[in-house]
Amino acid sequence: MYSGERPRPVHYLLLVPVLALLGLFLASVALLFSNAFSGGGGFSLQYFQQILDRTDYQIVFLRTFVASVAIAVIATVLSYPVAMLLWRADRWRNLLLIVVLIPWLVSLVIRTYGWIVLLGPKGVINGMLQWLGLLDQPVKLMFNDTGLVIGLVHVLMPFAVISILSSLLTIEDNLEEASRVLGARPWQTLTRIVLPLSLPGAFTALIVIFLASMGAIVTPILLGGVSQKFVGTQIYQEVMYAFNMNKAAAWALCLLIVSLLGLLALKAIERRVLRNHE
Amino acid sequence: MSERDTEIHAGAAGAVRDHGAVDIRGVSKHYGNVRVLHDVSVSVPPGTFLTLLGPSGCGKTTLLRLIAGFTEPSSGTIAIDGRDVAGVPTQNRPIGMVFQNLALFPHFSVAENVAYGLKLRRIPAGEIARRVERFMDLVGLAGYGERRISQLSGGQKQRVALARSLVLEPSILLLDEPLSALDQQLRKQLQFALKDIQRKLGTTFVFVTHDQEEATLMSDVIVVMDAGRIQQVGSPGAIYQNPQNLFVSRFVGEINEMPCEVVRADGGELLVRTPAGGLTLPAAAARGFAPAAGAAGVLCIRPEQLHVRADAAASLPGMVSMPGSLVEELDLGPVRRTTVDVAGCHLRSLTVGGEAARMGCAGAPCAVLLRPQDLRLYESADARQAG
Repeated sequence: MYSGERPRPVHYLLLVPVLALLGLFLASVALLFSNAFSGGGGFSLQYFQQILDRTDYQIVFLRTFVASVAIAVIATVLSYPVAMLLWRADRWRNLLLIVVLIPWLVSLVIRTYGWIVLLGPKGVINGMLQWLGLLDQPVKLMFNDTGLVIGLVHVLMPFAVISILSSLLTIEDNLEEASRVLGARPWQTLTRIVLPLSLPGAFTALIVIFLASMGAIVTPILLGGVSQKFVGTQIYQEVMYAFNMNKAAAWALCLLIVSLLGLLALKAIERRVLRNHE
Repeated sequence: MSERDTEIHAGAAGAVRDHGAVDIRGVSKHYGNVRVLHDVSVSVPPGTFLTLLGPSGCGKTTLLRLIAGFTEPSSGTIAIDGRDVAGVPTQNRPIGMVFQNLALFPHFSVAENVAYGLKLRRIPAGEIARRVERFMDLVGLAGYGERRISQLSGGQKQRVALARSLVLEPSILLLDEPLSALDQQLRKQLQFALKDIQRKLGTTFVFVTHDQEEATLMSDVIVVMDAGRIQQVGSPGAIYQNPQNLFVSRFVGEINEMPCEVVRADGGELLVRTPAGGLTLPAAAARGFAPAAGAAGVLCIRPEQLHVRADAAASLPGMVSMPGSLVEELDLGPVRRTTVDVAGCHLRSLTVGGEAARMGCAGAPCAVLLRPQDLRLYESADARQAG
């Protein structure tokens, strides 16, 4: 629509695809709620009770939450040097960005099998360590939390790199030079000017990655193993093996609430830390 | 007058200061095959307001960045306060800098911006607060300490940038076109404020601009630059009265030009042929080249040195008269600008007092009168390029 032109009735037809999507989304959310709160022919909390009463399920929530926080923090911290490199690399930035994004061009399953090749008991890393004589027995890097964290950090890191990079790119030209003229050594400029100004990007990264790993399914199944349950894998099992849609819906709503609590906590921290930012 | 003011004056009381000198000797800078500075030498005495003036791309900002230490010269030396600064990192040079985009820290308050350099120097908090307050006062921002940068107007941001640099009491303050983003009126105000502050503190200011009016208004010394070379160094008055070459005369102030050919050059006199006829000038009129018979040149004269009379045959003692026809008369407030076509050249004259009677309508015959000793003869730009 051209600026200044008032929309004519026919223009509202353009909203149809969006409204269709919105309708489907709302319908499925409604279905989710009705599934979760049904039972015995009417309103019931029995499925929530089934989940919340069991200690092993509570542990699954706790594991998912703690692992997601760890994954978000590790991925964000590891992404900083990469984002700084891309920020500095004026001419090579686009090429390097493609390199960072290559993992996303490979299917999730294939990528995860790549990790199995690397991390497995007979994998590259164990082979190397044993060949170097540093290990007698292979260390367990897979089908435990280590494998899960490594896998999810790898999958989600590009989000963090991009979001930190975009924050760095908004830093005005000359701020670093101004800091130098005022007497700052390079590391002082880094800690007092560059890092604080890139924090909004870091918080976005933390939030996106936290939420994404809270709901992760494929990587936890393939790298975390069957015994190490994640909320996502639990829901997957309820749907695909137990065919218990009601319980799956209750799981999903619990996940939503836990994620929301985590999100609110992160937002509160962000507001405190960034209270000086515009 | 408050105690603070006297303190500031005390700092500048002795006009002769022992620091604030910059000595640039034979500095060249090239990036790959592109030479941005050719053998530049200039020395800045302590306490001077020096302006690097030139069109964009003339190398003035590069020269400033060399003094700041952001880049090193390809050859030549830069000395600050008598000490060669080759290899000395920016943070260890006794300089301050105000950037074109100001480069204020958006996540700090105004006071935190001003205090930044003091904190890096681990000065006690009480002392920092005292100095920050004093310099906020000096730039006219008392009471603005708690504001966020985004809450300030353009002119206030300028003042913060200035205070942030000056609070460290640098020997030399470098200013890279800091006023270029402001509107005309604010700009005028800040030009006077800057000059005033410079006079109070006695700090050496090296100011970069492409605006010759701004340079004339503020500077003790102007360095005119073009194409990576220094064209002329002098006081604003000297540069206006005696431009060394065609570039300077065109860039600083308004100028009338007329092409000519040297017919004879001997002894104390030059005979040139112009489209309006032959002219005899003193040999001293030739600037920057030795005219030989047959050489192409350009005659230049300032508009206020031309007099226009309605009578085509008018003459005045000691003046040369050239007949022409009136093109237009414009009243510009205090002055009137009269344009006359003399043998195909449009010559402009400025006279004070626009209330005098008008010459007539376009095409009316008239005469342009000038003193031959006001004329300057330069080598024509085409000849210079070919050479």
